[in-house]
Amino acid sequence: VTANGARRGRAPTGTGRGNWFTRPRSTGEGGSAVTILAYVTIVIVALICIAPFYYIVLTAFKDSRVLFDYPPKWFPDLPLFLGNFEHLLRNTQFPRWVFNTLFVALVVTALKVLFDSMAGYAFAKLEFPGRNLLFIVIISTLMIPFAATLIPLYLMVTDFGLVNTYWALILPPLANPIGIFLMRGFIERTPRDLENAARLDGVSEWGIYWRIVLPLVRPGLVVLAVLTFLVQYTSFVWPLVAAGTDEMKVITTGLATQRAISEVNYAVYSAGAVMGMIPIVIFFVVLQRYFIAGSLAGALKQ
Amino acid sequence: MDVVMPRTHNGAPPARRGRERLGVSERRRLERRYRWRRYAIALGFLFPSLLFFVIFLLVPCVQVVIQTFQTGGILDDLRFTGLTNWQKLPSNPLVIRSLLNSALYAVMAVPTVILIGMGLGLLLVYVQRGSTALRGLLYFPTLAPIVVASLIWLFMVHPDFGAFNLSIRLLGGQPQNWLGTTTLALPTLAALEVWRGIGFWALFFLATFVALPQELYAAAQLDGANAWQRFRNLTLPLIRGPLLFALVIATIFSLQVFDSVFVLTDGSPAGATQTLVWYIYKALFQFDNVGLGASLSVLLLAIILALTLVQMRVLRSRPGT
Repeated sequence: VTANGARRGRAPTGTGRGNWFTRPRSTGEGGSAVTILAYVTIVIVALICIAPFYYIVLTAFKDSRVLFDYPPKWFPDLPLFLGNFEHLLRNTQFPRWVFNTLFVALVVTALKVLFDSMAGYAFAKLEFPGRNLLFIVIISTLMIPFAATLIPLYLMVTDFGLVNTYWALILPPLANPIGIFLMRGFIERTPRDLENAARLDGVSEWGIYWRIVLPLVRPGLVVLAVLTFLVQYTSFVWPLVAAGTDEMKVITTGLATQRAISEVNYAVYSAGAVMGMIPIVIFFVVLQRYFIAGSLAGALKQ
Repeated sequence: MDVVMPRTHNGAPPARRGRERLGVSERRRLERRYRWRRYAIALGFLFPSLLFFVIFLLVPCVQVVIQTFQTGGILDDLRFTGLTNWQKLPSNPLVIRSLLNSALYAVMAVPTVILIGMGLGLLLVYVQRGSTALRGLLYFPTLAPIVVASLIWLFMVHPDFGAFNLSIRLLGGQPQNWLGTTTLALPTLAALEVWRGIGFWALFFLATFVALPQELYAAAQLDGANAWQRFRNLTLPLIRGPLLFALVIATIFSLQVFDSVFVLTDGSPAGATQTLVWYIYKALFQFDNVGLGASLSVLLLAIILALTLVQMRVLRSRPGT
């Protein structure tokens, strides 16, 4: 069956699930043996990659008293022990952190997709003096690590009196220029004829952007949204310094500082890690197609 | 002059009669107004993005450079002290230590993650059936926030109930105190990054491999080149660009390691995991020393900029790859 999968790629057009790269090796050199070896290795590595997640789920359902038992149990006891989750939900601000995380991530994502697609439209379709220079300035800041601007940014937000507010969590991430760069690329590839026809019909630039270009680049918008949401959801350093009070923490900072404060209840950390992964898992399962496409910038499309 | 041109062009009258009534200067004025109107529209589209870009990225970049010449902290005002911060930097043992640790961390994590990622990418080329699920599993650790991944790692490396030591004990080996031993702590953190990163790089290299020109491989096969020769003499030169890109990006990423240090070790044991960004954080929030933190930030910026320039230089020096 596997060999069949590889052989289908032999069609001259390279259609189907196979691809050309497997072809030279599947002819004459025992390609099926290589394929089997590849499968075995990939499956083993995939299991190793997932194993820590299994272990943490297993631990999350253990009472901290049996955590240190040896030999350990590799399967959870039934009925499942839910004390760790209860502790997390009752005795910490975890629900609040989840709300903060989702609220901030959604607002940042919505604003970024809107603003960056607008800027991308200006760079791709409109003419103004200094357009190329401005774009070079923007892409040359792509490499600047966030840690490098952490200190001035913190002092600035303190001066504005925004520490421990949603403003502090939402506004600075909007500066990330990656979205402008991505959206310019997506919008540049849309056909000029359509928008020119609209221009002749007297449609305003905003109308062209909103009703013609945006629907055309919808996959690009989804890629940017997925990317932004994930970056926000996983961000740590900025929420750590910008919002330190317990009510203003996000999931990452809440879990991390809980760990820093007390060494007491390990089992609760595992419950926190499991809960922290749930939104990501849902998100990944629903949007996997867009996600991998996004992170590899369409390179997988042959 | 060009303004009048259309009217005489082909000797035909202009399409719209209205234009005939405009004088040259009037026409120019209207054109200029139209042009400015278009610039204004472009600015309107750019404004929201640029506003935040300037306030929260460009301005801090300038400020951080200025702050390297200042002294003060969160509570007291900043005062200029000239080059003092820079002069103190080389004699500060913590600076040297954190630079070395960050470099060591990158040296351990980057080649490992890229090599494994490339190997997996190569194997993934052969995996057709069930590839979506397998790619998803490989990719999954990348999705975990580093903080969550670090908490998970805690359950891998804990001396008593960690999965590593349990496995070692089951196999009859000697359990280790992974994060408590000076020689093991940094490699343990690097291993966390390898675990998180291989899936991403596997997919990156898979995408690179399937995009290679297939005629060359057919030709090489006809010439009797074996799999290793094809990889060594064909694939490697062809992926030089993406490979260099991967190395530089992974290095830049590794040099900024912070989250896992914060969650797992906080610099211990005996400073073995004090890294550059960890020290930047501590400079502000523990030592309340803006000047020190700012100089470290600029140092980090300079290192990353240098890496980026080297990458651009190398890529430009040999075009066609």
